[in-house]
Amino acid sequence: MSLESPNEKPAKSRGARKSPGVKAGAESVIANTVTDPFKPFTDTLMSVLSGNLNARVPQDRVQADPTGFGHLLNQVLEQFSSAEHRKQVAAQEIDQALDSLIILVREGDLSRWNTSTEDPQLGPLLEGFGKVIETLRIFVREINEAALRLSSSANQVLAASTQHETSSTEQAAAIHETTATMEELKHASAQIAENAGSVARVAEETLGAARAGRGAIGEFIQAMQQIRSDGVAVADSISKLSKRVERIGTVVEVIDEIADRSDLLALNAALEGSRAGEAGKGFSIVAAEMRRLAENVLESTKEIKNLITEIREATQAAAGAADASKHATESGEKLGAVAAQAVEGILAGVQETSDAARVINLATQQQRTATEQVVASMAEIEDVTRQTTQASKQATGAAAELTQLASRLAELIKRFKAD
Amino acid sequence: MAAQARPELEFFCFRVGELRFGVPSENVLEVLRAGLLTPLPRTPSFILGVTGHRGQVLPVVDLLRFLSKGEARIGPRTRIFVGVSGSYVSGVVADTVLGLRRIPVSEILPPPLGGDQAAEHLLGVVQGSGPADGINLLNFSKLLQTARQRAVVR
Repeated sequence: MSLESPNEKPAKSRGARKSPGVKAGAESVIANTVTDPFKPFTDTLMSVLSGNLNARVPQDRVQADPTGFGHLLNQVLEQFSSAEHRKQVAAQEIDQALDSLIILVREGDLSRWNTSTEDPQLGPLLEGFGKVIETLRIFVREINEAALRLSSSANQVLAASTQHETSSTEQAAAIHETTATMEELKHASAQIAENAGSVARVAEETLGAARAGRGAIGEFIQAMQQIRSDGVAVADSISKLSKRVERIGTVVEVIDEIADRSDLLALNAALEGSRAGEAGKGFSIVAAEMRRLAENVLESTKEIKNLITEIREATQAAAGAADASKHATESGEKLGAVAAQAVEGILAGVQETSDAARVINLATQQQRTATEQVVASMAEIEDVTRQTTQASKQATGAAAELTQLASRLAELIKRFKAD
Repeated sequence: MAAQARPELEFFCFRVGELRFGVPSENVLEVLRAGLLTPLPRTPSFILGVTGHRGQVLPVVDLLRFLSKGEARIGPRTRIFVGVSGSYVSGVVADTVLGLRRIPVSEILPPPLGGDQAAEHLLGVVQGSGPADGINLLNFSKLLQTARQRAVVR
């Protein structure tokens, strides 16, 4: 009806003067039922009012009317009918546009909008509609693109979020492992510290032992020197003994000689006694006794000679032994010096070992402290990572939802055909 | 000439090599040390040589060679006793002088029958406590005579 109003206005403006005339006409037609001369006019007007816009006052009546009223009336009717016609066309076009809009709204098809008009008054309106539709079309197109982009972006976000979640879980596992490893490292470093402590203790003990060994070697060298000087004294004594024994030998030779002569003398004395007969008998017995004594002496000197031989052999052996002992003590002294040097080396090495073990102990203690700090940090990181994992799970859920929404949006937008 | 009536006889006993001999003490003048022996040419092998004794030249006899019982060895302790029989004087080599011994006549056994060259110069044999302790009692006068004869025959 509103569409009719712009149509009505020109009609009103055009028929402002006529409309009351028409009504007056109708009243006059009713009045003309009695008065005949206006009947063709009223009939015509009635016919036009009832919808027959082509109804005109018959030509004969127009010509017959000298007043020219019929002609005027026909002109008015002509104008009215053309106005009505235009109104109808406009209404039709408006209907068509409305239908298009309805279809557009119902089906979302913006591509079919193609309504045009020749009506100069409707033209701007439809043009405005077209511009609106074009704008909508651009909107839909852009929204479609945006929805597509959003969908792919949401997918990417979902993928990234899923990946992030996975990697975050992996990270959590890795951190857990790292924490466990750090714990082990802590234990290991504690073990190392303990071992280094034991090494330091052992090194201290070794140091003590090596110092004792150094002292013992010094005493050993002194003892060796003492033995060497004692050995020299022994060798001197042996050579003196040897000389004395040689002298004893010469004395024994003299004794031997004397005993031999005594033996011979006694024997000859016995023979003399024997020749003296009974008178020499006693003399013979004494001589025989003397001879026995001389023989005893000879036996004793023989024994002494044997003993001297044994002593000579023994002193030679002793001299050899003393010589060997001298050499042995000399080499013993040399060995002692070498051992002393070796022990000095051991002392230095053990000192270094002890220092190194102490340094290791300190370092491992520091390492343990550091490891404990790392473990604490790892626990914090684990907490954070857990939170991150949770957040990334939420993000993944949100991203999934977002992806769904994006696809839903794309579906919805697809209903609008822009092209 | 030995006094057979006496219940015992005195012998000068000595050892040469493994053999023990006894010589009647009246045949022995004295005992010497074995000094330097001067070998004599053209003498029997049992005469080892000669040595000076109290201004006399004394031949020295090796009993072992004489009796064909081996050879005597001269050492620093070797003795030579001066034996005498009548006018004959001779030195005899002895390794060791055992001494003068009085031996009862009853203990003197006759020399073994069918013996060798040694047996004819034996007065008899005295048994010792052991098998090696036996002493061969020499007839020194006969031995000296035989030796002289042999030396001259040569």
